[in-house]
This record gives sequence, structure tokens and C-alpha cells, in this order.
Amino acid sequence: MKEKKDMIILGIESSCDETSASIVKNGTEEIATVISSQIDIHKDYGGVVPEIASRHHVKNITIVLEECLEKANMTMDEIDAIAITYGPGLIGSLLIGLEAAKTLAYLYQKPLIPVHHIAGHIYANSLVRPFKFPLLALVVSGGHTELIEMTDHYKFKKLGGTLDDAIGECYDKVARVIGLEYPGGPKLDKLAKNGKPTYKLPIPLHDDSYNFSFSGLKSAVINLAHNEEQREHELNKENLAASFQKVAVESVISKTRKAIEENKIKYLIVAGGVAANQILRKEIENLGEEMNVEVSIPPMKYCTDNATMIAAAGYYAYLDGRTADLSLNSTSTATLK
Amino acid sequence: MILYIDTSSNYLYAGIVKEGKLQAEIKKEYGHQLSQEALPEIVSMFESTRIVPKDITKIIVVNGPGSFTGIRIGITIAKVYAWSLNIPITTITSLEAMAITSKNDLIRVPIIDARRGYCYATIVDENDNFILEPAYITYENLKKELEEIKNYKIITNDQDKVEVTAKTWESYNPDIVKIVDKYKNKEELNPHAVNPNYLKLTEAEESRNSC
Repeated sequence: MKEKKDMIILGIESSCDETSASIVKNGTEEIATVISSQIDIHKDYGGVVPEIASRHHVKNITIVLEECLEKANMTMDEIDAIAITYGPGLIGSLLIGLEAAKTLAYLYQKPLIPVHHIAGHIYANSLVRPFKFPLLALVVSGGHTELIEMTDHYKFKKLGGTLDDAIGECYDKVARVIGLEYPGGPKLDKLAKNGKPTYKLPIPLHDDSYNFSFSGLKSAVINLAHNEEQREHELNKENLAASFQKVAVESVISKTRKAIEENKIKYLIVAGGVAANQILRKEIENLGEEMNVEVSIPPMKYCTDNATMIAAAGYYAYLDGRTADLSLNSTSTATLK
Repeated sequence: MILYIDTSSNYLYAGIVKEGKLQAEIKKEYGHQLSQEALPEIVSMFESTRIVPKDITKIIVVNGPGSFTGIRIGITIAKVYAWSLNIPITTITSLEAMAITSKNDLIRVPIIDARRGYCYATIVDENDNFILEPAYITYENLKKELEEIKNYKIITNDQDKVEVTAKTWESYNPDIVKIVDKYKNKEELNPHAVNPNYLKLTEAEESRNSC
């Protein structure tokens, strides 16, 4: 057998408020990663401000790239290909990573690999252990809530997704109602631990599809808080957090269960920032045991946006023959194909 | 061998200048496709010559003011280029490039419309000194600045939007050789520190500051 040459990929991610670069070997071995987060900047505005995010990406991009190469003790000449998040995300943010990636691909004559942000989140798991097919990926983040079936590497089939807000977005908005500072999702998760699900909230989109809906749940929480205030009842924040978490997670679990059953899934992976949620992690693990399905949830550092997952996905995209020329553009709404 | 890049408007302007002679240039209107086309256009500009990227000894990039997204595209290409190949880089404002292009027979007033009664403008005298430094300014205040000046010319590609009057109007079509000549010895910057000069805060910052 011919000896396979190692493939070193530089990944770049700038779809929201993190500027990140990472060098990954063969899609599985992380060599170095640098993430510059803007959370502290956007906190003051109660959410990510697109124009401010773009401004910081352009400030950070070469610094992040330089630090990443230094950390890896490598030069651009040692890189075999460049993987870039082309979408979906904030267009102004995406464009900075894209132009940087295209410029490097041209100057060093390296293949340019376009990576869908969700493919990145899914392939964060390949940094932990190899995939087994058929596989179900539950993607839960501030921008996405999707169930994706994979029959092989880079063979994606979207089973369902949110019809309105993403689950992470809903978490952050409910957290704001409770008075938690942005990003409130993780704080809400913590708060819920001390509460009991005493408030009655509707289970969102309790139907026969693989889809989700979170805007109704968000409104229900806002109305409930408002009504309690009008009746001069003191809002029990811990209990409200616990009540919200219970139905939000239940909605995700029930659709995931249905997808596993109906598609004879043997391997379940969870990806995206909300995969850091403690209750969701626990419920997913229980579901795996109950249905005899192997579960993979990446460590926290791979759950939030990072370029490691983009470089990992880039490797499999490259094997699938997915490269782009220098006219590659960013897109705020891209379908995973 | 100097590379010039300006993506601050709807146009892509780029050129390669060697010892005061233009080797190749691009002047094309793009608008929304700029992000897609800027780099391929720069690549074909190189390919139309025998020059390769590492032959470049200095990059001059327009850092604004103008289209926020546009500026970021040119700046990102230029700073990544300069950083990775270790090439000296410097910046020029779009307004200065406009002033340099125009003959210095009169006081020059380059203007870029910024909507809602505002513009980006500068006032430059015959000796290239600023009477007004590049600014984000209301047309009303620009009018006040121009009251004392007897004769001046406006340089703009937004003639139908500009709310000040002048006897002489010029549209802008960059003289890349002239701009490069003027800026070729300008102090070089650390590529990490090459950033857009928006001259304007984001709306979110403005409304927070006014609270």
C-alpha cells in the first residue's frame, strides 16, 4: 500500500464574533488554535452588533493568523490547504475571513476549501473520535437548531430545523427577561440548577415533523413574566429558568428520539454552543443509553465557534473534492449540502 | 514596484507602478460583487504582467472613508498580503487620493456622500495643506467651512447627492501613478496596525454614546 502523506490544513473562522485560526493534521489532530473572542465588546449592547463585529475581525485577523502559526511553530509553506467558513453567518464578518483565506491561497498557491459552518460544528466531533454511519447530528447553537443525517463523510441530509429562532438565541432572549447579562444562555443553565419546573410552559411544536420552533416559547416566557409582574407576584427566577429549560430540552430530545428511531441511527453527535448546556448533555446521554445509540458530545472548547472544526471539516471536504477558486463568496444563508 | 489598492467605493481601483510607470491597472464598477471579484481581478492584473506578488516592494492601500464593507475587503487583502510576505505597507485616505488626482490649481474639496445630510470631506489648498482634515461632517457645516473660501472645486462621484455648490466640479477617476508617487516614501506601518479609517462610529456606538 502506498504511504499516505499527512495533510496539514489551516482553518479560518469569522462567521460571528470570534476570529479564529487553527492548524489541524488529517482532520483529526489539532496542532494549534487561536480564538479571539469579542464577547466582552458585544456584552455592552446585549448581543452581537454586526458592524462592530466586522470591525474587530479586520483588526484581529493577521494577529490571530500570526499567533496560530507561531503556536504551531510552522510557516505558511508547510500548510497544504486553507479551509474557510463561507457561510452561514454575519456577512460582514464572514467576508474578513474569506478575503484573508483567498489572499493566502493565492500568495502561497494552496487549495482553497469552502466549509459550511454547520459542517464545521459536526466535524468538531472528528477531533474526538472517528465517525460511524449512519450518523445523526443534532446541531444546537445561537444561530442553528438542526437535525442532520449523514450516511457517509460529507453526505448530509437535513431532516429538520427550526422554523424561527434558534435554540441558543431563545436561551439568550429568555435570559434577558430574567435579567441575566449577555450571553445569558450559559448563566440561565446555571440558574436552572437551583430551581424547579413549577411554571407551566407549552412544549414547542409538539408535532410529527423533525422541525423545531422556539419563538412561541420565548413569547410565553415574556408573557408569563409580564403577568406575574402585573399581579405583583414575585418572579422566582430559578424556577422560571428550570421550567424553560425543561420544555426547551424536552422539545429537542423528543425530535431527536424520533429521528433516531425512524432512520435506524447508531451514532449520535451533538454540536454547537448549546451542546455545552448541562441538562441537554445529561438528557442526550440518557437518550443514547435508552436507545442503545453511541453518543459523542465534543469537549466545551469545540462547542463554541472555532477554526479547529473548520480545518477538521476541511480535510473531509477536500477528500470529497470540494475546493473553490478565488471567486468564492461568503453567504449569510447557506444550505448544508 | 508598488501595488495600489482602493476598494472604498463601488469601484475597484488597483494598479502596479514601477519607477513612475504604470505596469497594469484595474478600474471597474462592482458594488455587491466586490468581495467575490476583488481578488480574482488583482490576480489577473498580475498575470497581465511578468510581475509576481513577491516582487512588490510596497503596498499602498486606501483605508477609507467610504463603503465600510468595501474598505474592509481592500484592507484585509492588503494587510494579509503585507504581513505574510513581509512587504512594507502604508495607507492613504480616499479623500487624499481624490485631492492628489486633481490638479492643484485651486483649493480642492473632495466629497463622498454619507447620506442623511452627512458627507466625508476634506479641504486641501494649492500647496497640499489641509484647511479641513478628512472628516465626517454635515453638509451644513461643510458649507460654513467653505464660506470664507472664494474659489474652490468639488471633486466627487456623488454629484447628484452633494448638498454644497461650487463653480467648478470634477468627477473622480484616480491617477494611480500620481497617487503612488506622492505616497511612495510615506512611513511604513506594521501590517497588524493597518486598519480602516471609517471616520464614523457604528450606529450602535453612536446611540449608546448619546444615552
